[in-house]
Amino acid sequence: MMRSVSLIEATNLTKVFRRADKGPGLRGSLRHLVERRFVEHVAVDHIQLSIDAGEAVAYVGPNGAGKSTTVKMLTGILVPTEGDIYVAGRVPHRERIENARNIGVVFGQRTQLWWDLPVRDSLELLRDMHGMTQSRFDKSLERLDAVLGLSDLLSVMARKLSLGQRMRADLAAALIHEPSIVYLDEPTIGLDISVKDRVRAFARHLVAEGTTVLLTTHDLDDIEDICRRIIIIDDGRLAYDGDLESVKNTYARDCSMHFQLAAGAPVASVSARLPEATVTLGDNERELIVTFDRFALSTGSVLNAVLPDGEVLDVSISEPAIEDVVRKVYAGELRLGHSNGEAAT
Amino acid sequence: MTGQSLDARAAGRQFRAPFRAYRSMARMALRSLVAYPVSFVFNLLASAFGALAMLYLWRAVLRNGGSAIGFDWAHMKAYLLITFITGSLVSGYTDYQMAFRIRQGDVATDLVRPVDYQRARFAETCGFAVYEAGTAIAVAACAAIAFGGVPVPPLRAWGLFLLSALLVLPLRFGVVYASGLVTFWTQNYVGVQAARIALVTFLSGAFVPLGLLPEWLRLTADVLPFAGMASTPALVYVGHLTGRAAFTAVAAQAAWSVALWVLARAFWQRASRQLTVHGG
Repeated sequence: MMRSVSLIEATNLTKVFRRADKGPGLRGSLRHLVERRFVEHVAVDHIQLSIDAGEAVAYVGPNGAGKSTTVKMLTGILVPTEGDIYVAGRVPHRERIENARNIGVVFGQRTQLWWDLPVRDSLELLRDMHGMTQSRFDKSLERLDAVLGLSDLLSVMARKLSLGQRMRADLAAALIHEPSIVYLDEPTIGLDISVKDRVRAFARHLVAEGTTVLLTTHDLDDIEDICRRIIIIDDGRLAYDGDLESVKNTYARDCSMHFQLAAGAPVASVSARLPEATVTLGDNERELIVTFDRFALSTGSVLNAVLPDGEVLDVSISEPAIEDVVRKVYAGELRLGHSNGEAAT
Repeated sequence: MTGQSLDARAAGRQFRAPFRAYRSMARMALRSLVAYPVSFVFNLLASAFGALAMLYLWRAVLRNGGSAIGFDWAHMKAYLLITFITGSLVSGYTDYQMAFRIRQGDVATDLVRPVDYQRARFAETCGFAVYEAGTAIAVAACAAIAFGGVPVPPLRAWGLFLLSALLVLPLRFGVVYASGLVTFWTQNYVGVQAARIALVTFLSGAFVPLGLLPEWLRLTADVLPFAGMASTPALVYVGHLTGRAAFTAVAAQAAWSVALWVLARAFWQRASRQLTVHGG
């Protein structure tokens, strides 16, 4: 059935897993043999998703929030317990093979390379699986090589690769067939800074080329680098869906300035001059921290409020980051409103 | 009309592309075995010793020109060596690998590839089988020479024998694949595999000719696909199955091959719904 509203469209998407409920120790295991008890765990709970072609969306949530389960349903690996999914008009788990031709998937914690074969052989096997002609394959490999630097990896057995090399090779394996939709599930997990940068540059490159990217990650630097839209899920439920910049403007307004002063910090007098801000002492009595709403106060006015009270040796400013919002959501401090496409205010 | 012919063209293209995919998968499976020759040789030694024990046993039993259930020593040798070769096919790589990947959750990456899961596993099985058959035939040939040669069937029997031997592959695959799928429920495969090997070895006649079993067991093995997994080609080779009986037996092998394929596919439909892949 063709039904294309958005490229990726999920309504009431739900996955319930049944888990054995075993007591502790051998006794619990034995008891389970005669009296089988199970608990139901709702991993994904009535999620609505709508992603247009060419969008780059960050799918964020704490461990166990249901991110990977969602991706596995969107890719056709898992069958939803409830709800509908259409990816490019197809139901992924029913038309798994057809869907697989369209998509590229990277699971950061798993490799899709053949362990005992050189990387090139894995890529050639994928060429045959996707029915690519040799010339299209060569062109695609050349393109990937330019961004990922593959030439020195191609002849190496997958099991001999370092984690960073493996991730580069895995990205190539996931994208060799030039899919129009790419799911990146924790693509930077465990990688060092330089490889992370490379992976992010590659993801930006994909987005720039018009590929639709859904990125799940724990590393919030990934998000700001790559995506404009963010979807936060928590405990299987949608906590936020909207523009990255607006969520920052709405929920990450607090900016803080750290002052190193020559003498003891005048908390009371600065506080009196800046009633809208929170003024506290830092690690020592000569350090002053002013936390303020960046839309209510400017850094200049904060600076002016501190200068009359002492000699400033050093100033640093912490800009708000999406990380702060997400941390608050994870910690349960913030319940974001449901909104589609724009931030709740 | 135009839409229909476009569809037909697309279907044709989809059919051709996968064939290349499965052929490549078979080749890769073969190469991955070649990558670990030592472990393969050990596996082969283990089963070769089992076959040797049976050869010594039967040589003692059939000494001085004796015979049992229609086998003299020469034909028993041939029977045991043929069942050794067919028993080496689909020995356990396919299900072991499946079980490992299902348990670890790596099956997720198998499912994002544009190939049919069952056909892909069968393609790999064929790749493994080339290696398994090659080495088993070499070992059996050495054993045949060491034990003073084996009778060779008349040329006209070879066609049916080879067909019957070839059908061992889909038959054994059906059972091995279905038992591998059990991992979706059990998450552990060691017991399932041990039971599967014991059952198949016993009921296929790879251990002792089925004629030696009680009538009801022999019948069970004959009616179920087990006899076709070792006994049938061996009996065709030694000339105990000829004419109409041989054709019927080979036809039963073919019918069971198809039936097991279809049953396994239905089983997969249910098994894949059991899949839970947590994290990553």
